[in-house]
Amino acid sequence: MPVSTSILEFKGVAKRYTLRQESAPVNGLLARLRSKPVEYFWALRDINFSVQAGQALGIIGHNGAGKSTLLKILSGITSPTEGIISLRGRMAGLLEVGSGFHPELTGRENIFLSGTILGMRRSEIHRKLEEIVDFAEIRPFIDIPVKRYSSGMYVRLGFSIAVHQQLDILLLDEVLAVGDHAFQRKCIERVQVLKNSGVTILFISHDLKAVEQTCARVLLLDKGRIIYDGLPSEAIQAYQRSRGSHFGVRRTQGPPPVEVQRVAFLTEQNQHTDHGTTGEPLHVELLFHAHAPMDNLAFHLLFYGPDGNLATDLNTRTELLSVPEGTAAIRFVCDPLCLPLGLYQVDTIIERVGASDPVEHVLGCAHLPVLSPQPVQGSFQQPCSWRLEQQ
Amino acid sequence: MNSPPPLSAPRTIQPPSFSPSRLLSQFWRLTEYWDLLLTLSLHRIRIRYKQSLLGGAWAVFQPLSLMIIYTIIFSKVARMPSEGAPYAIFVYVAMLPWNFFAASLTSASNSLVSHNTLITKVYFPWEVLPLSYLVATSIDFLIGVLVLIPLFVWFQMGVTLHVLWVIPLMALAAAFVFSLSMILATIQVYFRDIGLALPLLLQLWMFASPVVYPLSAVPERFQAWFVLNPMAGIVDGVRRCVLHGASPDFHSLRISLLTVLLLLPVAYGFFKHKEASMADVI
Repeated sequence: MPVSTSILEFKGVAKRYTLRQESAPVNGLLARLRSKPVEYFWALRDINFSVQAGQALGIIGHNGAGKSTLLKILSGITSPTEGIISLRGRMAGLLEVGSGFHPELTGRENIFLSGTILGMRRSEIHRKLEEIVDFAEIRPFIDIPVKRYSSGMYVRLGFSIAVHQQLDILLLDEVLAVGDHAFQRKCIERVQVLKNSGVTILFISHDLKAVEQTCARVLLLDKGRIIYDGLPSEAIQAYQRSRGSHFGVRRTQGPPPVEVQRVAFLTEQNQHTDHGTTGEPLHVELLFHAHAPMDNLAFHLLFYGPDGNLATDLNTRTELLSVPEGTAAIRFVCDPLCLPLGLYQVDTIIERVGASDPVEHVLGCAHLPVLSPQPVQGSFQQPCSWRLEQQ
Repeated sequence: MNSPPPLSAPRTIQPPSFSPSRLLSQFWRLTEYWDLLLTLSLHRIRIRYKQSLLGGAWAVFQPLSLMIIYTIIFSKVARMPSEGAPYAIFVYVAMLPWNFFAASLTSASNSLVSHNTLITKVYFPWEVLPLSYLVATSIDFLIGVLVLIPLFVWFQMGVTLHVLWVIPLMALAAAFVFSLSMILATIQVYFRDIGLALPLLLQLWMFASPVVYPLSAVPERFQAWFVLNPMAGIVDGVRRCVLHGASPDFHSLRISLLTVLLLLPVAYGFFKHKEASMADVI
């Protein structure tokens, strides 16, 4: 066997699920024995990649792109239909924080239970016990049943166990999206420490920001295939393209009297652009058609961040607008753009003051990938100037 | 950058394929999970009696109360022969291996379904789950044995060295339960009927085994068929070596041993074959 420096290698891996028709519960058994598999579904196809020891690899993709299936195959929960994976060293996965916790057992007992489930020896747990408890910040509660824990304590303990074992490869699935911000930062720092000590990390998430902070390389999955393998900043643009350019979903009943036609992004020089850059100007143009003149209107562009939360609302509420019949556009000038790195979904709402329902409401009119030349600390980049003053 | 730590030989993950050598190596890998088995078994015991008033006393109370009920029904009402021993102790000695068998088979057969959230989240050799129930039930068996000592004193009975036969006999029973539970637990993942049918099956099975009556009470012409039930040889064997200070009946024991030796690899192969797709179905 040739000596390779990769610690983990996927060769032509594919996973096929069989979809069966759901049968009535009454004659469940017989119907199930008789029913033929109706359809096959390829959750993963033709997956090829290799990871070097000590590398941190992010795997991103939309829901159903195959991220979780990939992780399940790797951790042995389900087997591949085709292909082969070779790996070296000790690997442990954390598909869900607190897997294997028993609510009746105390925190201490659960450390042993969850730890051995993850593949640790009891002696190893004894050695690491203090460290685990301190990291999770649950020392006063260590001897009470975990069913009395807050959800925050629960996930802190679960994460702490997982990152304190002797490992060569660590699998993380969305787990950094747990706990409060202070603990999240601690988790990311811990992952950095593990990475620097030579642990290979596979981090699966749809939170691009978290992936970018941890990984220098990203795989983008779409419909079970790898469609991009490379730098995180470029993966975000590929992620955008994989969504397709179809217009969003209209939420209003019937034809709207004022209809949104397009949301476009432009540079200061009026050139169309497919992305924004933190700290640089960006113009957003909302093109609409009014089927009849209307007054008292307010236009909103809502930007939803990678975590699904509203990041910002660009609107015209400072002055109510009257529009004549015909097509017009509103241009929002963001100078500079303060949003941090990520892919944003843009929803449009046109409301008429005094009316309970919006005149027009479209989800996902556009998607804006935002790149950051320097990583943004915190939730957005506040523009500011500064000066040095002699006292 | 620090030099990478020495890594073990590469291993592979690939579509399920089955060869005896692969099964054997998987069986050996089980030893790496000794700590998990120990921890899981300890927790089974701790959880069982948590938030119960009598706690561990249930392990004593349960077999004793059954012994009293059976003694009233089968000794005072039905006048069952008991091969010269007091009926209470006669039935109690047979109930020890039988209850071990029935209780561990019930809990172990349900072990995969009752851990469905675990099975879809983390992998370890999942046969550790039924095994842990087996270990936990063994503790109940040992407590039952301790209760036997005052009973022997009370009835002024003694034992011979033949009592040591209990160890291989119980090992055989454990291997039988392990094999059966791997098959039943796997089927249970696909069809929950197992959990519904098992209590009924075990009730029938108990009356088909010499628990409340002696093997010698079975008519001669049925005995050849009777001992095809592996539990018949085991239950009768335990009674012979504990109560009568004799060795087990080797004819029926050979049948039990042969059954288990055939069943164990088949059950393990079946379990490992289905394990690959269990998480997709459960």
